[in-house]
Amino acid sequence: MDDYANPWLHRLKWGYLLLVVLTLMTPVFYVMYVSFNANGFGANAYDFTWEWYRLVFSDELLLGALRWTLMLAVTVTVIAVPMALLAAKHYKATRNKLFPVFLLLAPLFVPPDILGSALLVFFKNLNLSLIWLGDQLGTSIFDSWFRLSFLTAVIGLIIYTIPYSFIVILITMGRYRPEQTEAARACGANGWRAFWDIEFPQIRPGVLSACAFTVILVFNEYTRTSLLKGGFDTFTTVLISQMLNTGMSPQSYAMSAMVSFVAIALIGSIILWTLIRAETLSRVARAKAEPVMS
Amino acid sequence: MTKTPAPAVELRGLAKHYGDVVALTDVDLSIAAGEYFVLLGPSGGGKTTLLRTIGGFHRPTKGEVLLHGQEVGHLPPDKRPTTMVFQAYALFPHMSVTQNVGYGLKVAGMDKAQAAEKTAAALEMVGLDTFADRRPHELSGGQQQRVQLARAFVLDRDILLLDEPLAALDAQLRKDMCLELKHLQEKVGITFIHVTHNQEEAMTVADRIALIANGRLVEHGAARDIYRAPQKAFTASFVGENNLLSGRVTETAGQTARIDVGGTALRVDRRGQQVQTGQDVTLSIRSESVALDTAPDTEEDGTSLVGSYNEAVYLGLTTSHLVHLPDGTEMVSRVIADQDDMMPAAGAPVRLSWQPDAIRLHVE
Repeated sequence: MDDYANPWLHRLKWGYLLLVVLTLMTPVFYVMYVSFNANGFGANAYDFTWEWYRLVFSDELLLGALRWTLMLAVTVTVIAVPMALLAAKHYKATRNKLFPVFLLLAPLFVPPDILGSALLVFFKNLNLSLIWLGDQLGTSIFDSWFRLSFLTAVIGLIIYTIPYSFIVILITMGRYRPEQTEAARACGANGWRAFWDIEFPQIRPGVLSACAFTVILVFNEYTRTSLLKGGFDTFTTVLISQMLNTGMSPQSYAMSAMVSFVAIALIGSIILWTLIRAETLSRVARAKAEPVMS
Repeated sequence: MTKTPAPAVELRGLAKHYGDVVALTDVDLSIAAGEYFVLLGPSGGGKTTLLRTIGGFHRPTKGEVLLHGQEVGHLPPDKRPTTMVFQAYALFPHMSVTQNVGYGLKVAGMDKAQAAEKTAAALEMVGLDTFADRRPHELSGGQQQRVQLARAFVLDRDILLLDEPLAALDAQLRKDMCLELKHLQEKVGITFIHVTHNQEEAMTVADRIALIANGRLVEHGAARDIYRAPQKAFTASFVGENNLLSGRVTETAGQTARIDVGGTALRVDRRGQQVQTGQDVTLSIRSESVALDTAPDTEEDGTSLVGSYNEAVYLGLTTSHLVHLPDGTEMVSRVIADQDDMMPAAGAPVRLSWQPDAIRLHVE
């Protein structure tokens, strides 16, 4: 039955959708709500304040963690998204698709603590092997290559985020017709120029979404980052260690709320931008599609 | 002494394999500059592979591709003096018609004013100057193909490859575009190499046609010769509406061979082909060359067969009369519909006859 014929069925569907969204988002909204309460969590009185945010931004440890998180996010995005793009291009071109897709998506199916600890053991052993190699060659140049550090955290996070970027980019690439690249080549463009002028503008929304996704994943990731990082902290590792050591403080709520604000702002901007762009394009198309009177 | 100009395209021993699959084998072909050449054949026969190998989209497994005498087998598409029109979906959807047409000039680094002038001229040539600001999705299928043509012409390359350019268009538009293509080729004077599986389209545009099937070049020649005097049985089966008859040579005398077809002896001109008594051969005769007679009680004359009338298929301009021979072979006699004044009853005995030079012998 057409659900528009029965307005109650239609409303029920929307009501259900709203319920799902509320179930998912209520804890997030509640944390945001608490983060502005001068009296903290569980207090009867609600007095609005920016104090907890001011404290977050005046705390050198937290600001340092924020800087490290941003550096991690940017570095991982800059490396992982182009890698995922290349992988998606290869996947579209290859005939045997099963093996590459298994390799690329495998990290999604390995629990984070297992993957994190496996990489931890791998880097430790690799580090020991390189130290031994250095000793044999009489040099200490290899000693710190794979000591737990920013590099090891970046590698772990790249492995974690690539499958997501790959899928997001692949979905956008699905609509792209390879004949267009060939047409560009036939017009004199070399392979890179054909990609940059013709293919990239059409898959750009996917690449931008993959970037946003990667930034959010890096911001939120705890297990792999805490196992693989060296002597620095990220926003999430500080937040969770605070919760484990001293319990949630109003400052912790402010930090959690900030991570959520960043994520929602990023995703919201992409959705809005896509909607506005689609609407503008269709308006322009409608205007141009008027009959030509000549 | 004047030097003969090199052909626009020359293929020598060309082969393309995908693992064990042979897409093309032993193709030797020469296409003159300024010629409208059509690669005709069934789907999956290798004609598009051949076109794409000329254009640089496939690297040949064996053999050479020479364009104007230069070996280009190792060069990518953008380094060849060719450009291409694709079947569909090949316009850049994020660019306007003008940007699409001017793209190659932009890549070549041409001055903007000059590029704009050339683009406008190319759009005018294909009759789309009033559509310059539209996006591809705002154009009809025929208009989109015209944009592709303008995008190709604007580059001043002297070999244009067309890969089933009309396949996505409806029948009437395809007919119109065929003539338009032919006229455009005559106007610009460059070499067109056009791939199609549609014989009517091929006949309309081609100076010469090459038949490609099963990865092989079956036969090539002037469009009229391919239709009227096919050398190979495959050509006869693919081009025009030919009746194919299997028979066995019973006697040869001078240029004439006597062939037994289902117990009836037919006389056929050998046209220089060597045949031996007892050899199995194929005969072909175009359906419009076969006359239908309702009085079959005449003697065997070597240029007719007797069968039983089956049915008539009215096709507008023509009517096809279907006749079953005693061995089960079906033959067709096609006549102009308005001249169709006889309609035997189903199962009635009829005689199918033809002029002696209308039947052709194929020995391969």
